[in-house]
Amino acid sequence: MILLQLLINGIVTGCALGVVAISFSLIYSTTRIFHVAHAGVYTLAGYIAWSLSTRGVPSVLSLLGAVGVCAVVGALIQHQLYHRLERRRASHLVVLIASLGTLAVMQNLIAGIYTPNILQFHISWSQGTMRLGGVLLSYAQILTVLMGIAAYAGMMYFAHRTMLGKRIRAVASNPFLAEITRLEPKTVYVIVIAIASAIVALPGVLVPLDLGLQPYGGIGALLTATIAMIAGGVGSISGAFFLSVAIAVVQNLSLLVIPGEWSIGVTFFIFVIFMLFRPTGLFTAR
Amino acid sequence: MDFLYSYLVLAEIYVLLGLSTNLLVGIVGIFSVSQAAVFGVGAYIVAACTMSDTLSFIPALVLAAGCGVALNILITLPSLRVSGDYFVVTSFGIQLLATAIFTNWTDGTGGANGLPGIPPPDIFGLPVAETSEFLMLSTVALGLGCLCFWLAMRAPYGRLLRAIREDELAVAAAGKNVLFAKVSAAALAGAFAGSAGGLYGSFLSFVDPSSFDLDASILLLTMVVVGGARTLAGSVIGPFVLLALPQLLALVDIPTTIAAAARQSVYGLLLIAFMLFRPQGLAGEKL
Repeated sequence: MILLQLLINGIVTGCALGVVAISFSLIYSTTRIFHVAHAGVYTLAGYIAWSLSTRGVPSVLSLLGAVGVCAVVGALIQHQLYHRLERRRASHLVVLIASLGTLAVMQNLIAGIYTPNILQFHISWSQGTMRLGGVLLSYAQILTVLMGIAAYAGMMYFAHRTMLGKRIRAVASNPFLAEITRLEPKTVYVIVIAIASAIVALPGVLVPLDLGLQPYGGIGALLTATIAMIAGGVGSISGAFFLSVAIAVVQNLSLLVIPGEWSIGVTFFIFVIFMLFRPTGLFTAR
Repeated sequence: MDFLYSYLVLAEIYVLLGLSTNLLVGIVGIFSVSQAAVFGVGAYIVAACTMSDTLSFIPALVLAAGCGVALNILITLPSLRVSGDYFVVTSFGIQLLATAIFTNWTDGTGGANGLPGIPPPDIFGLPVAETSEFLMLSTVALGLGCLCFWLAMRAPYGRLLRAIREDELAVAAAGKNVLFAKVSAAALAGAFAGSAGGLYGSFLSFVDPSSFDLDASILLLTMVVVGGARTLAGSVIGPFVLLALPQLLALVDIPTTIAAAARQSVYGLLLIAFMLFRPQGLAGEKL
């Protein structure tokens, strides 16, 4: 029974992580920027929603508010920071350091404004639980799974069927050619980061409903998501999503033998195995 | 006077760490946020050895440096084989893993409470108990570190490392072993960080995980960026400036509950501002 419960918990966490992974993968495979500050955007989403809903804003509007704010913040980071650095022909390393600086500022501003401690995030309906075949699930968890599947399906449709998605993939595969065919990579980069930041706001709001808000938790989630992206093959949406679920399930099942505080070790071990034996990932695009 | 001395000792220890970070990030151009983890391993090893009387200070320091070397080789060898971005993930992973070990392995590291009561170092039977005496010890260590760094940089090896930063492909095409050069630079950086950790623990006579977390790694990166990448002067200036900063912030009236967060956001702002407006730092070369 405990096995089943851990399996289900793993799938729930995996759906949330999967959304983080596909949004990060979208940015990384298009702009080639290792956008560490994405962890800050993820954390910010929860706090925005918390502020709105404690002021009596309906939960759906709070979620939408968080999504909107995150999209704007993401677009600003690209437009005001990465774009300027790129204009100065800054190296990959410089962009990475600036991104880490942005993460430090975001996390610590959040910790300063709210509190460095864990904040409980309760909305009346999210506390309700449901028993599915002997497994106890909260409504927040069910919503997380639905959101994960919807985001994955939406992303697949968006990337392969819509004009904008095709344009993004064209820029990702060859920025130079995209430039001379007037696909305007610079604009696409801003759009990409805005979309990815909006998507990452969904798990950013739903996960804290279950686990509470914490200013410094984002980097751990982003690290696991990045590992899933690499293990799934950079550029593959399905790879990133399903490997996230797989890693989260393994992580949860490992709780049977390894105490929870070492779960980062389990994730990292998976990464090392992939790095040694299959560095290109399972589902490589192209 | 003691206050000034302890500021100087800490700054000198951080200069050793700055040299280590500068070697990796500035000279070779490898982004690393796991320097604080190696620093911590050095500190805990010296603490454990001197507290249990298995080794005296100098052999323990050598062991810490050796472990720093081994750890950095172990981290860089598999990931740099693939690509730079894999190393970014690896270094974040190692840093979070190290924090988890420092915090949760209560038997070895004292957990979140840390290890108090580390004995002061003795140099071949001569105890170093006073801060002023420790200042001499750390100045000698700083001198040795700077000498090593300077010698390595003016040797052909130093030019090879700089060349890798400029154009890795050209270096590989010239028949040089790029992976070996990178890993050996990381090993040297590990030796600096490990021994700096040993000095740090013995000086404060107390270590706890909060000195060796991700924030500490960001602080190290800020020191190098503010001081100036790729030069000896930069690695020396950075720590002195950055360690004086909390004293300045103390003049501004900030509630103590958010002081740490405020300090850390200033470091983040410094990183962004220097990258945007002055990538060469106060006294460095363009990053």
